[in-house]
Amino acid sequence: MTTKETPKACPAEEQPSVCTAPPASADPAASAPKTSRRDFLKAGGMLSMSTLMGTAALMTQSDDAHAAAEWAEHFQKNYRLMTDAEKAEARARLERRYSQEYGKQVTVDTTGPQPGVLMGYALNIRKCIGCRRCVHACVAENNQSRGTKPGEKIEWIQVLRMERGKFEQGKMDHGYPEGLGIQVGGNAYTPAGQVLEGQYHYTPEAVPEQDATYMPIACMQCEKPPCVKVCPVRTTYREADGPVVIDYNWCIGCRMCMGACPYWARRINLTSPVLPKEEMNPVTHYLGNRPRMRGVVEKCHWCLQRTRHGRYPACVEVCPVGARKFGNLLDPESEVSKILERKNVFRLKAELNTFPKFFYFYD
Amino acid sequence: MKKLAIYTLAAALLGSTLYAVSAAEKAAEPAQAAAPAEAAKEPPVCFESRKGASEVTQKEVKPGLPNVKCSPTTGAALWYGDPYDGTVPMGKMPGLEKLPAGHAVVKPRSEKLALMPMCGTACHNGVGPNANPPTLPKDKRAKPNPTMEAMVPDLANLQHGRGRIWCMDCHHTTKRNMLVDHFGDPISFDQPQLLCGKCHGDKLRDWRDGIHGKRIGEFTSTGKKRWFTCTECHNPHNVQDGARNRGFAQLQPEPPPQLPKGMKDAKHEKLHPIPH
Repeated sequence: MTTKETPKACPAEEQPSVCTAPPASADPAASAPKTSRRDFLKAGGMLSMSTLMGTAALMTQSDDAHAAAEWAEHFQKNYRLMTDAEKAEARARLERRYSQEYGKQVTVDTTGPQPGVLMGYALNIRKCIGCRRCVHACVAENNQSRGTKPGEKIEWIQVLRMERGKFEQGKMDHGYPEGLGIQVGGNAYTPAGQVLEGQYHYTPEAVPEQDATYMPIACMQCEKPPCVKVCPVRTTYREADGPVVIDYNWCIGCRMCMGACPYWARRINLTSPVLPKEEMNPVTHYLGNRPRMRGVVEKCHWCLQRTRHGRYPACVEVCPVGARKFGNLLDPESEVSKILERKNVFRLKAELNTFPKFFYFYD
Repeated sequence: MKKLAIYTLAAALLGSTLYAVSAAEKAAEPAQAAAPAEAAKEPPVCFESRKGASEVTQKEVKPGLPNVKCSPTTGAALWYGDPYDGTVPMGKMPGLEKLPAGHAVVKPRSEKLALMPMCGTACHNGVGPNANPPTLPKDKRAKPNPTMEAMVPDLANLQHGRGRIWCMDCHHTTKRNMLVDHFGDPISFDQPQLLCGKCHGDKLRDWRDGIHGKRIGEFTSTGKKRWFTCTECHNPHNVQDGARNRGFAQLQPEPPPQLPKGMKDAKHEKLHPIPH
């Protein structure tokens, strides 16, 4: 790292002798040491540089892990361009900082994509009962901000409650506009089956309700992600094993990706994250659930800290009805491969050609 | 002047009443605060899939790492620190020959069924007028019996299979702490899939392949997983529970997301504008 190099300091007292040229003029009036503008700027520049570097060296070795990490982060590369040594350094720095900040031993994983793994997700749309346990499990696992003031609570999964529509004989001739006799097809303006409009804030006594269907939505981990296409700083990208990830340090918070995402999957933390020490999950991944800073975009990453080590994502594990399935698409024996082979599968907004690796199915 | 005196008196009375009320509230507050503190000392117990089926007691598996986190709202299991806590190998299951030994584990349910050890000893102990050989009701209907009805309400009108099966189609005739297969051989309560698969073969196949039901642990096809068995999610005595009649009991949902900034309620979330 550049910050670790100890610069050749040019101490302030020795400035004239070392850093300025001797007088060239024979004129006694002019023989007094005289600095040109160039020399002055040069000296000043070196002085300020030395101060800066000295501070950097001090900061990286200071006891305040937070300050040291923050300083070093200003000079670090995009995660994809880091060498293994630089990744290890960034990891050690963050582990030190988070451990100090949250008062427990925090690990920051940097495990990369595993060979032969392409993660896929499947969700049984008929089984989902809309209990929102996945939403809260995700928050518990992924260190989202969980404050109570507006904008402080962030959830990556949304569960949409939708009305159930049906085809009816009596509506076959209904057209629009009424009375003009223009036939636009039976039921054309009433929902038949599922439409993507509904309620997120439903609070019934018990779920599932009689006339409702529930549709959980999170990041679809597209094969052609629109969010990656629009990112001006290339901080978000697709990993080789499937998930679309964000290098939070390079995110400038422009929210272009949020606008581009057709699945409303991205969130921005505009307030300082509220993450109580006792609720913080200490097992983190650099591209996954490590505590985010203010003003960066975040989203579901299929629990990289778990799935890179073979564990199911948190939402899969808590789903009480087993509607959520996760597996390796390259393994014909995996759950998701069997679902794709055997069940009726659809992808959300398939017409947008984003090719999600998140499949809804029903049986 | 007289009016003023009356008003003053009224104000004083009101003030004293208010003071008394607030003092009573203040006195009550510490009592309320003390109650949760006492409750917090006992480890929380959360239910896993449905209420009344499998429960798990919170404990530390490593320093600072709980085996499970419970939802403060509904009491449901929200997060697993150790998915294999308290599990045993599932045993042989046809079609799972490729799976390495010990990679399919289940949580034994027979330990959780508090009354089960008593079934074969207290009442169905092979002693009594109808015991040897066992005589069963000819109409194959459960007789009114307060003990059994306390455990299984609606026993006489059991709605499993739309009322077409009765107790002894699932429970062993003589070994009452066992289930029964098609050959009349006993099946452990820890392997209800062998019983349920008798009729629900398609579901058994899906369950075996991981499509139906729930598993936790490692996602790779040969990874170690805890398999949730049929009765951990479904109540066999009341399978059509819930207003939706869909085989899974209704649950209380977790709290909704935060309202958008500036919104006081969720009335902006309209249903479809055209009624249908």
